[in-house]
Amino acid sequence: MRSTRVITAAALSAALALGACAPEAPQSGGGTGGGQEVTDATLTIATTTDVVNYNPLVGNSRSDYWITNLMYPHLLSIGEDGEKEPELAKEWGYVDDTTGFYELESGLTWSDGKPLTAKDVAYTLNAVKRDAPAGTLYGQLSNFDTATAVSDTRVEVKLTKPDASVIPEIGFWGNVVPQHVFEPAGSVAKFANDGSDGGWVSAGPYVLTDVQRGQSYTLERKDDYPLVEGGKPKAAKVVYRVFPDVNTEILSLKNGDVDVIANSLPPAQVKELQNTEGVTVQEVPGLGYAHMTYNMTKPDLAKTDVRLALAHAVDYEAIRRVVLQDQAVSTGSSPIMPVLKQYYDDSIKEYEHNPEKSRELLDDAGYKANSEDKYPLSFRLIYSLQDPVTTQWATLVKDGAAEAGITIELQGLERNAYLAKTDAGDFDIYAGNFAIMDDPATNMSLTYLPGGAINYSYVDDPELTKLIQQAQVTFERDEQVPILQEAAKKVRDNVYDNVMYTQNLYVAHRSDWSGFTVKPSELLSIVNPISVASATKSE
Amino acid sequence: MSLWLFVLRRIGRGVATIWFAVTVTFLMLRLLPGDPALAIASTNMTPEIRAELLNQYGLDQSLPVQYVKYLGELLQGNLGMSFSQNIPVGDALMQQLPWTLLLVGVALVVTVAIGIPLGVVAASRAGGLLDRVVQVVAVTGQSLFVPSIGILLLYVFGLQLGWFPIGGAYTAGTYGGEWYLSVLSHLVLPCLSLVLVQLGAYVLTVRSTLMESLGEDYIVLAKANGLPYRRVLWKHALRNALLPTTTLIGMQICLYVVGGVILIETVYAYPGIGRGIYDAVTRLDFPVLQGAFLLLAGVVVVVNMITDIVYGLLDPRVKVGSS
Repeated sequence: MRSTRVITAAALSAALALGACAPEAPQSGGGTGGGQEVTDATLTIATTTDVVNYNPLVGNSRSDYWITNLMYPHLLSIGEDGEKEPELAKEWGYVDDTTGFYELESGLTWSDGKPLTAKDVAYTLNAVKRDAPAGTLYGQLSNFDTATAVSDTRVEVKLTKPDASVIPEIGFWGNVVPQHVFEPAGSVAKFANDGSDGGWVSAGPYVLTDVQRGQSYTLERKDDYPLVEGGKPKAAKVVYRVFPDVNTEILSLKNGDVDVIANSLPPAQVKELQNTEGVTVQEVPGLGYAHMTYNMTKPDLAKTDVRLALAHAVDYEAIRRVVLQDQAVSTGSSPIMPVLKQYYDDSIKEYEHNPEKSRELLDDAGYKANSEDKYPLSFRLIYSLQDPVTTQWATLVKDGAAEAGITIELQGLERNAYLAKTDAGDFDIYAGNFAIMDDPATNMSLTYLPGGAINYSYVDDPELTKLIQQAQVTFERDEQVPILQEAAKKVRDNVYDNVMYTQNLYVAHRSDWSGFTVKPSELLSIVNPISVASATKSE
Repeated sequence: MSLWLFVLRRIGRGVATIWFAVTVTFLMLRLLPGDPALAIASTNMTPEIRAELLNQYGLDQSLPVQYVKYLGELLQGNLGMSFSQNIPVGDALMQQLPWTLLLVGVALVVTVAIGIPLGVVAASRAGGLLDRVVQVVAVTGQSLFVPSIGILLLYVFGLQLGWFPIGGAYTAGTYGGEWYLSVLSHLVLPCLSLVLVQLGAYVLTVRSTLMESLGEDYIVLAKANGLPYRRVLWKHALRNALLPTTTLIGMQICLYVVGGVILIETVYAYPGIGRGIYDAVTRLDFPVLQGAFLLLAGVVVVVNMITDIVYGLLDPRVKVGSS
């Protein structure tokens, strides 16, 4: 049959075309030579997305973050208690109110043999301030003026005004990049750093050596990495494999094709994997929270009683139990999460689920229920359809509000439409998540100061503003904590933000791998550089 | 009408079709809700960064200016740069296209090779047990939900039996012949899924058209002339029955080559063009989407032309200039 022959020919042509894609075997005889081998195991990690950007100053997706983190060190990391910890910087702090410093570990080198010095750090910070790349670090530099390398291991940072958060926040969010690679490329905002000019240069535990887009990203061990015990990463290779479907990813873990799943598991899969032989499920403290913000530019939502009525109409316990299968904890409706132990105030209590109280509040505010027991209040709640957890609890929020006589119209949106509407303030109620809220002073300035980048409630409360600004310039922790706790209480009492829960995350790995170091948040979890470099495989 | 004139007219019509598709795609993408800068960068970026990104993407210009620039670049063979990957769109698509061609091509060959004989067997035993079984299997196959069948096959043949790898197109670190074997083993399950969902359409199409053909006068005459039934069935009746099947093959190619295998490529972590389109949609990567839909339009035009030519070969009544 001719048609069959045509199709066969087409398929064979495709196969031949594919032949051009066959990778060539690596050249032999060019080994690194000499170094004592710790282990030759390959750690295979599953992720759901490809890398979008190899420039850590621009990259924004999780896979970007995980892979570039293995090459470009951060100055600081974070501990399980939410406290900043040393990474590249062994000490940090302030010389005076407008001068900060980082004292670096000595002896780190880039993979091309050049030393990593304070000049690289100063270059990175100054270049980000100058070129304004779209990544997260630039957002932390609002009060940053300049950075100067005063010695090979010390960087001093001049601020435009006193800011107690800027040094820890820059240290936590910023990757350090090699000046000798990035500077010749021009603007750090436009440099793709895609390895097309001779590969990548790394000062982390691994260096990216092979990219098969849509398939895998292979990183090879860098023999000197003093930040890990023994000075050398344990696994010889790390391979990130891309599985867009989380179910396939989980089958692959069960099968042993992959050793770690980097992204947090869907709540419904946690129990099953906990009972799977050969698989270990590890709990990772969340550093973010799920919340609803009420758009206070809307006349009804500008009233505290209406916001309180909405807050009391939600059955938070049911949401955590049913939707999150008890894998979330209450923050007491506070924007400061329990994981931040130094700041958390357990005297703040969660809004009670009490629709009758909601009705009383609305009656007191002058609203009259009609014959069907409904108040003339109708709000549009937006959420992202790509967020299955929020999609589920949005329905419970709607049902709860109906009990209190308030109508909520749910508007589930494709993620990009959701982001655009959020950004434009085109909503009555916003439901979503903030992934990492690691520093209360910084986070409150972004979320509750007028004009804050993520002030989705459009709150403008002079007293709250004063408290946050005071916290920003209070350098002593003992003095700063009560100010932030007072601000958090104000947020809670006035429902400037309705924080529903902080989700505990779960990640899974094969049980024959151990030695991971758990850090809070999905971005760090067990795939942070120290953890990956410390992991070992047993026989 | 001469063959050359026919071909020229078809090319002209094809170019107009492609222009129309390109224009509609260009406009539709810009009507999508969302902002490419927001989709790519951090949500708490400053207005200055957003303005810079939009300027970099050329989205700060008026629609007519963007359109004219786009067409101008297109005429020079330049599909633009991917917003999210920062590489030429042509490179991005050509990294993925061979995988999709391989998957779709092999699946089509297998489907046709199984589907046509099954349809013939069912038609020749119409009403019998075998016919009923084939029909049930075909209808069931058509109603399968691709991700479900994908996960089921992975669970059974990948996890439980361990016969085939789970996800991907090949095993990293394999070279030469080993690499080809790894490509083959990774191809089996996605290909089987595609065959299972496509097969029913071929079987049922061949069966119904063949049953129609078998009642035609020329078949009765052939039988009366004493030709063996197998020869009547396979040589005379099937040839006419293949006309709608040819249309179906053309449609399936158009449907699956660009975009139609998104679900299969997603479930099997197969790095084809369907996944590329999915990623581009989530990141509002207009240039990649424009390039992919241009490719789709091109495939539709070319496949339609080939289908017309194959029609002429299969059916002597369909001749150029017969009108």
